Amino acid sequence: MTARFDDAGRQLRPGLWETVNERYPGSMITKDDYVPLARLRRPLAESRLTFISTAGVQPAGTLPFDTVHPVGDYTFRRVPSGATPGELEIHQLKYPTHGAARDLNVIFPIERLQEFAAEGLIAALTPHFFSFIGYNMDAERLERTLAEEIADAVVADGADVALMSPA
Amino acid sequence: MQRAVEQRGIPTVSISVALDVTRHVKPPRAVFVPFMMGHHFGVPFHTELQRHIIREALNLVVEARESGEVRSLAVTWAQARRQGAANERAARGETGAEITGA
Repeated sequence: MTARFDDAGRQLRPGLWETVNERYPGSMITKDDYVPLARLRRPLAESRLTFISTAGVQPAGTLPFDTVHPVGDYTFRRVPSGATPGELEIHQLKYPTHGAARDLNVIFPIERLQEFAAEGLIAALTPHFFSFIGYNMDAERLERTLAEEIADAVVADGADVALMSPA
Repeated sequence: MQRAVEQRGIPTVSISVALDVTRHVKPPRAVFVPFMMGHHFGVPFHTELQRHIIREALNLVVEARESGEVRSLAVTWAQARRQGAANERAARGETGAEITGA
């Protein structure tokens, strides 16, 4: 079956993105304040970029994320930043993957990031990108464990700047 | 997660397709695109749009002065899909199709 989105203006009605949590019920962290901004230590062209994603992308053959656990999977995978899309696969059940099935870059833009590093917009990519699944019903646990573990791993990988994509 | 990375001294920017969630979570910087879930960087094979979204996100890292800025990009889902489809027709060599930028 081919999905039809030709009248996308109607389907994605104005303000739809104000109701995502209503339509995809899940846990949500609510904060009352903002964290202070960190500053780039060097220009972008001299910075090493990492990418962190909740898309459930992982190297083919690694332990699949547990997509059916009732409270979620609080582990993450390292994805080699030099991988090709063909070496990766997606394990998740919570977002539409018809685009990613044809071109992984719509949710995990690994080839675009490789291009930017080759062209010099950024100096390099960290050796790994970081991936987990967005279905985690215990937001407090995620914040206390997974968020801290990934943040430490990002530091260990020598990142100067992080692009993040909550799928 | 984004806040945890930022608090380690590494500037961060996220791509959002959910303004309500972004308002709750209050990330340091975010770029909003009005795309469907699972398509934060646009549509298949629309490499210019994918690159545009990443470039805009990195621009925000450089330009943001206050924590919490959410920058909306002037793109629509319908437009992205039209351009992506046109690009695919052009890639297949169909006549009358031309590559469209972001």
